Amino acid sequence: MSPRKRSRRILHHLPLVVWLWLLWVVLWGSLSAVVLVGGLLAALLIVALFPLPSVLPGAVPRPLWIGALLFHLLVDLIRSGTTVAWAAVRHGGRTRSAIMEVPLHIDDDVLITVVAEITTIAPGTVVIEIDRRRRRLYVHTLPVRDQETVDLRKKETQDLERRVARSVGYRHAPPGRGSPIDPSDVPPRDGTPPDHRGERG
Amino acid sequence: MTLLRDVVTAVLFLTGACFCLLGAVGLLRFRDTVSRLHAASKAQTLGLLLILVGAAVNRPLRDAPVLLLVALFQLFNAPITSQIVGRTAYRTHAVDRRRLFSDELADRLARDGTPLREQGGLTPDKEEGKNPDDEDR
Amino acid sequence: MTHLYSVTLGVLVVAGLLTLVRLVHGPRALDRIMALDVIVTMVIAGTAVGMTLRDDSTALPVLVVLALLAFIGSVTAAHLVEKRKGMR
Repeated sequence: MSPRKRSRRILHHLPLVVWLWLLWVVLWGSLSAVVLVGGLLAALLIVALFPLPSVLPGAVPRPLWIGALLFHLLVDLIRSGTTVAWAAVRHGGRTRSAIMEVPLHIDDDVLITVVAEITTIAPGTVVIEIDRRRRRLYVHTLPVRDQETVDLRKKETQDLERRVARSVGYRHAPPGRGSPIDPSDVPPRDGTPPDHRGERG
Repeated sequence: MTLLRDVVTAVLFLTGACFCLLGAVGLLRFRDTVSRLHAASKAQTLGLLLILVGAAVNRPLRDAPVLLLVALFQLFNAPITSQIVGRTAYRTHAVDRRRLFSDELADRLARDGTPLREQGGLTPDKEEGKNPDDEDR
Repeated sequence: MTHLYSVTLGVLVVAGLLTLVRLVHGPRALDRIMALDVIVTMVIAGTAVGMTLRDDSTALPVLVVLALLAFIGSVTAAHLVEKRKGMR
């Protein structure tokens, strides 16, 4: 491997090594030489033994949007706890819920995971299925009063997705790849029915 | 100064404990597994977070990183647990159909030709033992 | 002020008892898995409050271990439930 590629690979893994090292030092709670050196060795060992594929090539972290994302996350956290607590007290067993389908524009594993996580943290929504291939989230939401609530929550989830995409400078798939025709509505050419149950994740 | 810190900790503790309590109430009152998931993951996580932040405020500086680390860990892993439990719950018919306003996942599955296996509907809590799905008591 | 901390512990105990009802009664295994996760979460919270009450930091690793256990345990148990139902 050319030295330039090798140095680039090391650079890719550097944040993870630093993060693991920091975790080690924090968990041991002391800054002695043994802890520091041992932590560095442990971090390097882990990253060498379990290499993760490089994540989000070409991602440009935008601090302003990340700040907005974190702010909204905090607010959503508090709102979601109060929403559920209020629904538990007020309606209890009579709470109505709904399962809605949220199509996504993002097509990256890590980002979809982040969107699903933050959707679960957001008020009123819990992700129960992720259709990775067709880029859809199935979200269970409560409390639901009417179709308007469902549409509102769907819109909130899509706003969230947009915020996540903006905070790493993600460009949507170019037109022609994410075609408006839903691929699952078109029967595949070899005649096998589309198999949703076998979907991973 | 320590009085202010103690007051902040007390407020955070009490609020966190109230959220945990209301989460437990939701866990009891909601009628189906997936709704209980809302109470368990959201309210409990928020309650725990508040309590851990309250403890971090009060403890010496050495302890604060570990407490905040545990809080962060819980925050990001609770959704993972709830997604896996929710998926299993949906696939094993633990969703109360009577309280469900709309189910777009079932619609999509039906459209794809792989409908969710329906065996005489779902099990509200009263009808235990009548549904052949309930082998896992 | 320490009285308020004890009140917190009391509230957590009540919440724990309510969750215990769900643990015993919850008709499905998934309900029980969730109840256990909630109970462990409340044990973590109670340990943190106890640490503040007694001004004693020795229980810090307990928090970390419990958090890890709760996560891995719930995920594994839910996977096993799904496997047993023949969904995989």
